[in-house]
Amino acid sequence: MNQSDVKHIAGSAAPQGVGASVERKEDRRLMSGRGQFVGDLRLAGMWDVAFVRSPVAHGVLKGVEKPAGQEAAVFTMDDMPGVRPIRAVSGLPGFKPSEQWPLARGKVRQVGELVAACIAPTRALAEDIAQAVYADIEELPAVVDMVGARTAPPALVHDEWGDNIFLESLVDGDLSSIADAPIKVRRHIRTARQCMSPLEGRGVVCQWDSRLEQLTMWSSAQMVHINRQGLSECLGLDSGQIRVIAPDVGGGFGYKGILLPEEIVLAYLCMKLGRPLRWIEDRREQLIANANCREHDYDITVYANRDGRLLGIDCEATVDSGAYSSYPFSACLEAAQVGSILPGPYKMERYRCKTWSVASNKAPILPYRGVARTGVCFALELMVDAIAREAGMEPIDVRLANVVRPEEMPYDNITKKHFDSGDYPRVLRMARDAVGLREVRARQKAGEADGRRIGVGFAVYCEQAAHGTSVYFGWGIPMVPGHEQCRARLNADGVLELSIGAHSHGQGMETTMAQVAHQILGIDVARVRLSHGDTGQSPYSTGTWGSRSMVMSGGAVAAACKEMARRVKQIAAKMAGCDTGALKLAGGMVFEGDVPRMSLAEIAHVWHRAPQLLPADIDPAGLEVIAGYKAARDTGTFSYACHAVVVAVDTELGAVEILDYAIAEDGGTLVNPMVVDGQIIGGTAQGIGTALYEEMPFDENGQPLASTLADYMLPGAPEVPAIRIDHIETPSPYTEFGQKGIGEGGAIAPPAAIANAINDALRDMGVEVTESPVTPRRLLAAIAAARKGVAA
Amino acid sequence: MKTLNLTVNGQAVSAAVEPRTHLADFLREHEGLTGTHLGCEHGVCGACTVEIDGAPARSCIQFAVRCEGATVRTIEGFEDDAVMRQLRAAFSAEHALQCGYCTPGMLVTARDIVMRLPHLTGAHDEARIRVELAGNLCRCTGYQGIVRAIQRVLRQRAGIDAA
Ligand code: FES
Ligand code: FES
Repeated sequence: MNQSDVKHIAGSAAPQGVGASVERKEDRRLMSGRGQFVGDLRLAGMWDVAFVRSPVAHGVLKGVEKPAGQEAAVFTMDDMPGVRPIRAVSGLPGFKPSEQWPLARGKVRQVGELVAACIAPTRALAEDIAQAVYADIEELPAVVDMVGARTAPPALVHDEWGDNIFLESLVDGDLSSIADAPIKVRRHIRTARQCMSPLEGRGVVCQWDSRLEQLTMWSSAQMVHINRQGLSECLGLDSGQIRVIAPDVGGGFGYKGILLPEEIVLAYLCMKLGRPLRWIEDRREQLIANANCREHDYDITVYANRDGRLLGIDCEATVDSGAYSSYPFSACLEAAQVGSILPGPYKMERYRCKTWSVASNKAPILPYRGVARTGVCFALELMVDAIAREAGMEPIDVRLANVVRPEEMPYDNITKKHFDSGDYPRVLRMARDAVGLREVRARQKAGEADGRRIGVGFAVYCEQAAHGTSVYFGWGIPMVPGHEQCRARLNADGVLELSIGAHSHGQGMETTMAQVAHQILGIDVARVRLSHGDTGQSPYSTGTWGSRSMVMSGGAVAAACKEMARRVKQIAAKMAGCDTGALKLAGGMVFEGDVPRMSLAEIAHVWHRAPQLLPADIDPAGLEVIAGYKAARDTGTFSYACHAVVVAVDTELGAVEILDYAIAEDGGTLVNPMVVDGQIIGGTAQGIGTALYEEMPFDENGQPLASTLADYMLPGAPEVPAIRIDHIETPSPYTEFGQKGIGEGGAIAPPAAIANAINDALRDMGVEVTESPVTPRRLLAAIAAARKGVAA
Repeated sequence: MKTLNLTVNGQAVSAAVEPRTHLADFLREHEGLTGTHLGCEHGVCGACTVEIDGAPARSCIQFAVRCEGATVRTIEGFEDDAVMRQLRAAFSAEHALQCGYCTPGMLVTARDIVMRLPHLTGAHDEARIRVELAGNLCRCTGYQGIVRAIQRVLRQRAGIDAA
């Protein structure tokens, strides 16, 4: 045993495997300014690209005038012959596909749509050129309101469709038996359009390698293999001619799970000009062109008994899908999800939901953390509170009366969602007790010295995560998740290299995947290196989305490490002259019984550098493995949580202060509890933004009205309270370690919980807010309306 | 082009820059100091925070040419700084970063809080620390780890908790 092996064993004294809060391996470089984000890359001869973007929401593009003397630096769609438009077609019957040209052709359909690309040695110079380009656009009426877009369209976004509807869908059910239910509550509920706003925007750098005849593209992306596939389709290159690499990614949240028109344009121009190119999105581009999520409208009726028992839901939901079907998730994923998940964690007998995915003159919709769940949870949980008020019950008791019970697990709900495991009533009670419901009620009675009103609100959800083929193939979109693979190689010095096709944009996979390897092989996490987000190095993967990486890539890493363990033991057994059955791996060592026999590094050394020591009948497959994983059941893990919040509402200013925020959650087995809590808290902060601050308003011409972070309000440290989290861990019966996907959950419940708390605070004034975000303007309007005796 | 002379991370630098170039672009594009990040370029997010003459400042809303004679320190210039070392250890222990994009600016602001307000060691000082952080947006962490990391260093430096 050499010195470094001894250190490894000593170093692994602290737990490192599944369940350990291991500090992150990626922190050091990020804290020293040595992270490498796409904007940090420098290639010799690289030029910058600035785009000319449409200043209007809807219009006929009659021509583009290039500035005199600068013609060679400006490119329009006509300058990119052979490039095909982005088409993300869903196989659902009735879906109308859109064609999105990377640079506009014929019409522009949203403010910020790319019209021309300008290149120069610096971004400033490229912007100078862009400013001198004249886009001749004849403005058309804009489609801005999603319900009006389908009922009384002011214009057609895609003329050939005849209407503005990407897809209409119906989950049908017969509600006649509950038509006379004792409680019947109907509401109109809306959620505002948002911009996901990772702190780092999108960005693309690309370079053509004439030796390999290969385009290398660095993109701040979540799903590099999907980007490669889309680039190949639009550029007409074979897939081997494209390598997509995601370097450090400064937050994603869904914003970077897309094939970008910018990527296609840069790829084409870089090949045409033989020059590396770069485009880094600035915040103004992001806000104006890419407010792309969350905008829902619900006309919802919920039926219940006097005891608060839910009988059924009838809903018409509209989702503003924007101008184009984005690749790969398509324009209909969100609305289709609304139809299938609206019942939430509740049991009911009857259900009907009609949805429309509507085209408008706004940015194409993308699935933002939680996807449709945030809107759905807002709609449903506001309704549950409305039922509670009708029934004269505590809202938490209505929830307790209706959630699926632990003895019913696994449970197939009314839309055939398969809840894998859990104790939903328990998290409800935990959240209730965490904020002290009884104490809050007493405090409400006593009143506040400062005249504000106190309210308490709850929201519960379940988060289907890591769902696979059986869920996705029916949607027929350009991407259907299947199996996940990991490549593992044990190098001669005992370092384990892992490679996966998913990518981290803050989740810390370099650490958590190493923990999985440690769990199987006993190897020190410091001796594990993860390469991810690189099509040139990793097995295929649909990437990081849908809270799937820890389940799917984690499962694949475990599978690869198990196979590696088998091979290591086989070599060790030959070297030690014993049976493989007598060997086990721990602390980077191979043990025979309790006796450490040799280190992983020694075995790897022999395999790579002293093969003469091995017998002839050794399995030549060696210490490089690709292994795959699919969950025992691919309908998804169901993590779930109850959020509980106490607010103080100032009815004069319309201001809301969060006094207490508690979460009770079940994410199954937690691989790294510190990272899990980080995901939950970060998601909750985003949810607080959705609840109270974040909104991209549009005027009647489709002009986005927030173009800086001073008018698009992201929550800062003073707006986010300290958040308390309680866990229970019910392992998923279908995954490798029992882990469940949890990455999105935090962002799902806050708007519902906070709005419920506000409504609770203002209950005896007759105020009920039904629209997010609950800004002072909306809240004061609701208060004024209640005073006048009309609904807001 | 104008000639600019200043000190960056202890080194004298002289360069020709366009008057319209902001300090962050100068640091990133001319000096290769890409640890200074750009999140908005209009002075709201704080990702570009550096030290100018010892005080934190947003480098995206300073013209480089205004920094003639100034002493600028970026995240790359704190390698030998004891407070920064403590902060980095605390940031990691408290999971105060996820994607890490806000982190360089956040650390420069955090160091300023620790140095300027050493008395904020009590549990009730959390609100003040959050207000002090209002100029630095983080989209990933929800700020809890960041606040805790700063509290941890404040308490260590006041001798309340062991370092
Ligand atoms: S980049 Fe300077 S404040 Fe945002
Ligand atoms: S860690 Fe991602 S923005 Fe702060």
